[in-house]
Amino acid sequence: MEEKGSARELFDTFFGKAWPMWVGAILLAVGNICLFLVKHPWGGTGSYINWGQNIYQGLGVMFDNVTPISKHPVATMNLLVVLGAFCASLLAREFALRIPSVGELSKGLIGGVFMGIGATIGAGCTIGGFFSGWSALSGGAIILVIGFTIGILVALRYLFWEMERFPKLSGGGKAFLSGVGKKGAWQPWVGIIVLLVLIIYNCVRFRDSNILTWFAVLGILFGIICQRSRFCITRALREPFMTGESSASSGLMAGLLVGILGFTIIKYMGIGAYTPIAARKLAMVWIYPNFWIRGLVGGFIFGIGMTVAGGCAVGTLWRAGEGQVKLWLAAIAYMLVAPLSKKYIVPSFTSLPEWTQKKVFLPDLLGGYGGAIVFFLVIMALWYLFVKWNEKTGKFSAI
Amino acid sequence: MAIETNQTVDCKGLSCPMPILKLAKGMKTLEVGQVLELLATDPGSKPDVPAWCEKTGNELIEAMEEEGVYKYYIRRVK
Repeated sequence: MEEKGSARELFDTFFGKAWPMWVGAILLAVGNICLFLVKHPWGGTGSYINWGQNIYQGLGVMFDNVTPISKHPVATMNLLVVLGAFCASLLAREFALRIPSVGELSKGLIGGVFMGIGATIGAGCTIGGFFSGWSALSGGAIILVIGFTIGILVALRYLFWEMERFPKLSGGGKAFLSGVGKKGAWQPWVGIIVLLVLIIYNCVRFRDSNILTWFAVLGILFGIICQRSRFCITRALREPFMTGESSASSGLMAGLLVGILGFTIIKYMGIGAYTPIAARKLAMVWIYPNFWIRGLVGGFIFGIGMTVAGGCAVGTLWRAGEGQVKLWLAAIAYMLVAPLSKKYIVPSFTSLPEWTQKKVFLPDLLGGYGGAIVFFLVIMALWYLFVKWNEKTGKFSAI
Repeated sequence: MAIETNQTVDCKGLSCPMPILKLAKGMKTLEVGQVLELLATDPGSKPDVPAWCEKTGNELIEAMEEEGVYKYYIRRVK
């Protein structure tokens, strides 16, 4: 039965234990370059806004003429990220319906509300704004991360205070349908069935649209990659200030480096753009008006939200897929609040002077692509030195 | 073999980062040599708990999976 042994070995390579964060980050960056080549990079908030608008339209309130989810590349893709993560967690026997205390569930909701508001004010979340935004050489993306970090510091202080004063709020709960132990042996079989259904359904559903086909395929893959590597931008930014552990931060940096390389090739070479105007439009892809006030304020609010919820735009999606009910609530609040915030809160920011909300493409500011790349390399070198030094000394870590 | 424990921290149903925060808080209340039992359902605890123990110099005596729950036994070293 040697053949069965090697098949088992292959399966365990992928689903036996968690992948390191850097493996996930690099794979996602490569996938993200593919998305950019197909149409445009990965984003998070656009999908939440679209889902929310579709819900409101379905209820017959406030929004109409909304793009259907199945015609919106990122909304389609991110729905499949949830389902891909669901499959991966089943295959790895890590799925369970996890229901924590009411206090924790409320924090999921509140975190989602903050993320919905922050992402729309800041014109970006951790994915479109940061992971794709840095790759796109956006100046506002740097500001967003400063905002996230301040938000994380504030929210962490809150979490520590809450644990001291109101320990019951973060009390434990229950988990159902767990894959752990003998009774969980059903999970990989269901995982295989769900995966096959997803693939077949998408082949049929999107057979007339090349673009949506690719976003759907990459969505399933991204869900699997995220769940297996526990790809978490909240963690990468938070951990230096919590446990001091640095592998999530350096893993994320590995992905950012790959993303910057690939995106820069596409923009620099003007791939697919045949006129100077089209080339300029391509260079400005994923450059949003968040330099600097909007990025700072939005990032700060988002940073609080993702720390309280325990997951950013994408961390929320794949954790929802593996059965964390707290993150279901975060996702629902995020998608219900984001369209409202965009409609009612964001206009008071767009009416501010232009310097508060510039679209900054760093090569314009730093004398070309070379200057922008050097700038990012320096920032990441400093960031890397900080997390490694802090890991050793524990100067900034709280526990 | 049953492991004698001095305190149990129940993190069932909780997601990252709460299990690690509660583990760190629970360890502070133990005396050196005492053992804490951590119950969790978050798969993130599988890499996180050993990493935290190694980083903080506490001893992970045993990590096991029982029906529906990951169980960790950690001795306070210093």
